[in-house]
Amino acid sequence: MRLAPALLGALLGMLALGPALGPGFTLRYDMVFVPDPPIFRDISGFPRAVPSDLVVALLSYPIPAMVVQKLILLGIFLLAAAGAAALVPSGRTPARLVAAAFYAWNLYLAQRLLLGQWALLLGYAGLPWAVRAAAQGGVRRFTISLIPAAVGGFQAMLVTLLAVIPVAARRAERWRAVATTGAVAAVLSLPWLVPALLSDAATDPAGVDAFAPRADGPFGTVGSLLSLGGIWNAEAGVPGQGFWASATVRLLVSAVAIWGFARLLRHDRHDRHGRDRHDRDRDRDGHDGHDGHDGHDHGGRCDRQERRERRDPALAGLAVAAVLGLAIACLGAFAPEVLKSLIGWWPGFGPLRDGQVYLAPLALAQALGLASFARGRIGLAAVAVPVLVLPTLAIGALGRLATADYPAEWRQVQRIVNADPAPGALVSLPWRAHRVFRWTGGRVILDPATKLFARRVVWDDTLVVESRERGPIRVTAEDPLARRVGALLAGPGPAGAGLAGAGVRYVLIGDGNENEFLRKLPDATPIFRGERLLLLRL
Amino acid sequence: MLKVLVAVALGAVLAGVASVAVINVASPSLAPPDKPLYNYGTR
Repeated sequence: MRLAPALLGALLGMLALGPALGPGFTLRYDMVFVPDPPIFRDISGFPRAVPSDLVVALLSYPIPAMVVQKLILLGIFLLAAAGAAALVPSGRTPARLVAAAFYAWNLYLAQRLLLGQWALLLGYAGLPWAVRAAAQGGVRRFTISLIPAAVGGFQAMLVTLLAVIPVAARRAERWRAVATTGAVAAVLSLPWLVPALLSDAATDPAGVDAFAPRADGPFGTVGSLLSLGGIWNAEAGVPGQGFWASATVRLLVSAVAIWGFARLLRHDRHDRHGRDRHDRDRDRDGHDGHDGHDGHDHGGRCDRQERRERRDPALAGLAVAAVLGLAIACLGAFAPEVLKSLIGWWPGFGPLRDGQVYLAPLALAQALGLASFARGRIGLAAVAVPVLVLPTLAIGALGRLATADYPAEWRQVQRIVNADPAPGALVSLPWRAHRVFRWTGGRVILDPATKLFARRVVWDDTLVVESRERGPIRVTAEDPLARRVGALLAGPGPAGAGLAGAGVRYVLIGDGNENEFLRKLPDATPIFRGERLLLLRL
Repeated sequence: MLKVLVAVALGAVLAGVASVAVINVASPSLAPPDKPLYNYGTR
């Protein structure tokens, strides 16, 4: 029975991923895995996929990359389910299974999966383990629990920190616990923290409007957020999630779950206080005639200390984190100017733009809250509730997640470029971040060239988002070299000399619209010409 | 007994809503689905 939540997580993972577990790569938005990813890549701009891409590349050395991807995706479900179950205070099997099912099958996980943010989801899956370790103490245990978030990178780590700091602060040795937690997290964040601080990546405050949470159902932005949805990108929605009956049931389940969590908190406090009072009475009976003032003071201090030690820091800390997370998510929607000023003051506040990410502790609190109602056989049946309130996540969100294989020409270009020892960057054209290929089944993906090559790849990391209220929002490129290359490509006349001057050696033109760019690069030498790919050397 | 009846009723409602949701998505819609105008997505 101990392994039941993990097994349930694996089962739910198989049900959700469905066709994505078949042969080939699952490609969707930010989820771009490539065959034979290079271990050492020259990364520019903000370190977004650090160190997740490096870990994937290392794992792909002995195991095929497509198998690594499937193991990671299934592992997210398994780890999330087992972790949520491990946090259930009562330890009852039905409650543990309900917590596991809810945490591994909800709108937050579904939407982030459909946006391809597997690295963030690693942090989400490890969150319950990190909360548990932060509550129990112990540097080694906490370090191990933080590994999924450390692999995931900056977003995964920030979401985890939001939860573990309040949990550590509820422990008896408050400041020491917070300092230890912060120090371990800081050390594990170094792989992305150092490049982020050293990079001159820009953070455009326009991203606040682009990434603000939005209403994705009939209950407005707050209703969507409470139901763990509200992601900024309408394309990341689970099919049919806006259907009023489903949305109503989901919101009701979330409300019940929040009520359950509040009840858990209250019981926790009452139980502890009850025990404290009992202990105090017993102490008084046993120590009649004990001297006055000093003893009482000492006793009071001990009481407070003891009470804090006995209170479950995981629940109390998680409550604080859930409220904070919801507040951060609401900030982008209801007070965007505050966020813009913060980012204008220090670009380090940039990660707060996509505030919906910080709902992860609320998802965990809801999982524990819903689980608190599960008792006996009827409680066991409640395991099906998360799936019934979000049925369209099944079978790869009804086909949104599926596999595709890279055409041979991509592998050929990868081999040619990676075999060349001469330095120089590769510019990927057409000049935009995302691609829609026929071979991906029309799914939008981040340009795979960004992951295929060992040398620096310059691509347009400008993001254009269509907003119903504001029209198109342009979030300017973060990488200074990308801004320079973009200006060269947009300028009049040939760009070849300018690109070579900027340290560019290769230009890869995909999508068969080469004529548009060949005019700009008249002196470039074609190295490879495939059906849909053209590789030029400057 | 009452608890079982309530649970069965709730389960039936959930299953009903879930079935309608799946049929809604799976059945062809009259209105054409929104096409993204831009390369990344819509809000």
